[in-house]
Amino acid sequence: MFMYGKQIMGIRACTWVYAFLISFTFVTYLIGKFELDGLTTAITVLVLALLKGHLVGLYFMGLVRVKGFWHWPVTVWLIVPGSLISIAFYLSYQ
Amino acid sequence: MPTIVLKNNCQSTIKHYPPGDLAIWFFILAELLVFGIFFASYAFARMNNVELFNELQNTLDREAALINTLALITSSYFVVRAVTAIGENNSKLCFRWIVAAIGMGGMFLFVKSGEYAHHLSEGITLSSNTFYMFYLSLTFFHFMHVIMGMVILSAIAIKTRNGSYSANNCTGVHTGAAYWHMVDLVWLILFPLVYIMR
Repeated sequence: MFMYGKQIMGIRACTWVYAFLISFTFVTYLIGKFELDGLTTAITVLVLALLKGHLVGLYFMGLVRVKGFWHWPVTVWLIVPGSLISIAFYLSYQ
Repeated sequence: MPTIVLKNNCQSTIKHYPPGDLAIWFFILAELLVFGIFFASYAFARMNNVELFNELQNTLDREAALINTLALITSSYFVVRAVTAIGENNSKLCFRWIVAAIGMGGMFLFVKSGEYAHHLSEGITLSSNTFYMFYLSLTFFHFMHVIMGMVILSAIAIKTRNGSYSANNCTGVHTGAAYWHMVDLVWLILFPLVYIMR
C-alpha cells in the first residue's frame, strides 16, 4: 500500500495531472473555438471538466491520501451538479 | 491492513482527515454547495432560453477564458509545489512557489478585469438579459473568491518568509492551499459551462 501510495501521491504524479489538466483544457477550448454543438459534444465537454475536477480533488487537494468520509465530498459535488447540468442539457435538446 | 508511515505531521501516507484545518473544509463544502446551485440554475435557465444563451455565448472572449483557465491550473500546481517544499522543510522555496501562484492569480484578475471593462463599455449589465445576469454574477462571484484566495496566499507567504512554517508545522500552508484549489476547481466547471457548452 505504501509503495502504491508513493507512486500515486508524489510530486511527479501531480506534474502528470497538471499536464493532463492543460491538455484537457486545450481540447475543451478547441471544441468551443469551432463552435461544435449537440448533446454529445456538450456532455463530452462536461465529462472532461468533471474529470479535471476529480483530478484536482484527488491529487492537488490531497484527497487521494484520505480514507473514509472526507475522501468523497469533492467527488459527490462533481457528480450532483454534473448530473443536474446533464439533465438540463438533455431536456433542452428534446 | 494498510501500512501507515508518518514522516512528520504534514506527510502521513494515509489519513482520515483532509490536509489543513478541518474548519476550512466545512467552509469549502459550503462554498461548493453555493456554486453547485448556481451552476444547476444556469443550466436550467438556459433550458428555457437556448437560442439566447447560444447566441450571447459567442460574444464572450474564449481566448481570455483559456488564458484564465491555464493561469488558475498553473497557480494550483505552484501551490502543490509550495506544499511539497514546506514538507521538505524548505521554506524559502515554498515562499517562491506561493509568490508565483499569487502572480498567476494576478494574471487571472487582470485578464478578467479586461473582459469586464469590455462588457461595461458595450453597456452590458446584470439587467441586460438572463444570460448576462448569470454570466456576470457567476464570474464576479468567482472573481471575489480569487481575490480572497490571493489574500490568504499572501498571508501564508509572509508567514513562510518569517519562518513560521516548517515540515512539522505546516497546517496553515495546507489550509490556504485547500482554499486555493477550491477556487481552481470551481473555475474548471464554470469555464466549459458558461463559455463552451451549447
